[in-house]
Amino acid sequence: MRKIGKSFYTVGFFLVFVLLGSPFSWAQSNVSVEASLSQTTIYTGERVSLSIEISGNFNNVSRPDLPQFENFRLLSNNPSTSRSYSYINGQSRVSYTYSYYLIAQKQGEFQLPSVSVSIDGETYATDPIRVNVIDSKESATSEDSSEQPDIFLKLEVSDKQPVTGQQIITDVILYFRDGLEVNSYQPVPGWKAEGFWKEELENSGRPRAESTVLNGVRYRKARLLQFSLFPTKSGELEISPYKIVVAVRSARSGNDPFSSFFSGFGSNQREVELSSDPITVDVQALSATDDATYLGAVGDFDISRSISTSNALVGESIEIETRVRGSGNIPLISKPNYDLPDGLEIYEPQENTRLDRRNSTISGSKSFTDVIIARSPGNYTIPSKTVSYYNPSRGQYITTTLEALTFSIDENPNVIAASENSGQFPVSPVTGLASWIVISPEPADLLGIWWFWAGLIIPLIIAGVAYWRKSYAEKMQTDTAFARSVKASDKAQQRLKKAIEVSEQGDIKQAYNLLQKAITGFISDRLNMPEAGLSNQDYIEALKEQDIEENLVKNVRMLLEKCATISYAPNTTHAYLKSHVGLAESTLEKLQKVL
Amino acid sequence: MFTNRTPKIFLFLFLFGGFVALSFAQQNAQALFDNANEMLQEGNYQQAISSYQKLEDRNTVSGALFLNMGISYQRIDSLGMAKYYFLKASQFEETEQQAQKALQFVESRFSRQSAVLPKLPWDIATGWLQEHIGAENILLIGIITLNIGVFIFIAHWFLQAYPKVLRIGGLSLIVVALLIIASSFYTQYISERYSKAVMVTEKVSVLAEPAEEASIVSRAYEGYTFTVDHRKSDSRQEWTYVRMSNGLYGWIPNSEILIL
Repeated sequence: MRKIGKSFYTVGFFLVFVLLGSPFSWAQSNVSVEASLSQTTIYTGERVSLSIEISGNFNNVSRPDLPQFENFRLLSNNPSTSRSYSYINGQSRVSYTYSYYLIAQKQGEFQLPSVSVSIDGETYATDPIRVNVIDSKESATSEDSSEQPDIFLKLEVSDKQPVTGQQIITDVILYFRDGLEVNSYQPVPGWKAEGFWKEELENSGRPRAESTVLNGVRYRKARLLQFSLFPTKSGELEISPYKIVVAVRSARSGNDPFSSFFSGFGSNQREVELSSDPITVDVQALSATDDATYLGAVGDFDISRSISTSNALVGESIEIETRVRGSGNIPLISKPNYDLPDGLEIYEPQENTRLDRRNSTISGSKSFTDVIIARSPGNYTIPSKTVSYYNPSRGQYITTTLEALTFSIDENPNVIAASENSGQFPVSPVTGLASWIVISPEPADLLGIWWFWAGLIIPLIIAGVAYWRKSYAEKMQTDTAFARSVKASDKAQQRLKKAIEVSEQGDIKQAYNLLQKAITGFISDRLNMPEAGLSNQDYIEALKEQDIEENLVKNVRMLLEKCATISYAPNTTHAYLKSHVGLAESTLEKLQKVL
Repeated sequence: MFTNRTPKIFLFLFLFGGFVALSFAQQNAQALFDNANEMLQEGNYQQAISSYQKLEDRNTVSGALFLNMGISYQRIDSLGMAKYYFLKASQFEETEQQAQKALQFVESRFSRQSAVLPKLPWDIATGWLQEHIGAENILLIGIITLNIGVFIFIAHWFLQAYPKVLRIGGLSLIVVALLIIASSFYTQYISERYSKAVMVTEKVSVLAEPAEEASIVSRAYEGYTFTVDHRKSDSRQEWTYVRMSNGLYGWIPNSEILIL
């Protein structure tokens, strides 16, 4: 009994611990401790409220353990406390708020250290808070605060020198002075950001006003809207003014920074249209890269590729999904082109984009699904593919290699049966010996063929020669003077030869007679003179008219006189005649050149 | 050192070496072709195509090679490529008939057929000359005719018999020869400027300008044939200027077509 009882209590205690412990641990995990400051930009000597809010499901909580605040003076160790209780969807939730007051003692930028709280035996710490303390004397004399507007709108961008495609966050911030109360706002439609692709970001909750000091004037500022802008081109781009209509009410009393940004409507309410100043952004062009790998993505991404199956039948579809995940210009990302092996049919790719507009950035994923169908069995490999995107935070292109995808395709029995019924391919492959030719990659240039030029030039030359020959023959037949002139030399040679023969036979006088005929005949033929009836003096005169060299004329005269007087010379020999024939030959040869 | 027989020995070695090299190249091509044929018969179409492609890359070709390449592509249902190779095979006498049959079959399998404008008679004549005779042979005929004409014309200057016949005959032959020579150059110009091309991808837009954002002239589908204008295409590296068979002109990316 004792043993049993002991075991029973042990098991019971264990069960109670498990049943109660689980929600307890869950509740523990839902406890939050946050510290906040009523204003983060304050003057020296100004009082500021530090609130520590503890919320969740817990049993025991200790008072916050405050650290030493350097440059701040704690007004009282006893905080003002408030407590609230909520019960939502079966879950109870308790919230404690401890408020302390600090006074800034020194000018500068400081960090309030974290505050620790013990909750159900565990210690929690808040995040440190940055505070900017301004010298109240300097700020009072720095500028005339009356020139500052009571309320204005401002666009603030996260980066004024982005690269093309880089995500820049643009906040639409409303500044208004203490004493003004903004009841509502309404954006004026039609805001354009030319040169940018824009997406409005989601922000949970209503805008909360924070205190700040601008040029010595205390303002409250609230972020109304937030956009992601993606420049689509390089150069100086202007973000046009943003306009809103706000309903404001003056004479707001009290200094409750934690009150809602929007308050109830009052009698002093009026509507004001506010417009921000335009902002110029200097968009830098992306450095040159390999266009074949670049997907147009700018941001921080994870790129992967997967295949739906590694084995399919002929005609079955296979999906290749390319997924790009991360933050950046997701909708502008283009699909990588894959080199598919032959025998695959590819269909229009499907695109699916999921955008997450929370957390002050555009993130999400874009997937491209290629549907391919193999038309024949076999093993297929889609080669690996290198893709790249630009990471602006690292200032460089990031290259990722998508691994090769391999899959096998088996014969589809249904397809075989269908194709057999649909007609046979009428040609069989040639499997025997083939006659091979080697083709030249460059076609022959006709103008570079030698026989083309030879075939043109040779007939032209032949035609030219033949024409000359034909003209010569015609002239010889029709032009007597020309024919006599051409034949003169041959005729004279024959007469001289005959003269020697006659001389050898002993008839010297006849030989000299032939010598004279040879000379006078040559001159008359060349100069187209009458063949008979002319004296020696006529021939000499004719030669002189031709402006012949004097010695040559003298030789001719001497020879002609010798021929005329030889009848009276008793002892003339054959050798003597031969010498005259030799002189006549050389003289006629010279005459032929000049006549 | 050198004797009278030395040049003869060198000539013999040169001719023998050339003959052996040519025979080896042809045997090598035949061996590769036989291997590829075995792969084709075993159903390894991709490997068969790779082997056939090696032969084509070496510029050692035959009608049988192109016919078998077309059959391989037809087996893997790449009909555009099949058409391209059947068209090449049809240019060889030994495979012309089979290639024409295969082309008829492949044409009937394309999902879209394009309208074809009839060719002008002059284009038909030029195409026939280009395909059946060749510009170089036409030029040779023209040169021979010119020479005969010139000799006959010259003969009339010197021969007494039939001078008028010889003169007119010679002049006529010269005129005909010059026309033949001119047509050979025109045929060469046409063959260098224009080529036939086959679309080997599934679908593409024919654009008015060589830019992706240009307006679309028409859609083209696998198996469509085009006339490529090389002179106009030379100005753009990645684009080809084409005339579609229905008479429309436009630009198409190089990767979409294969030029015959």
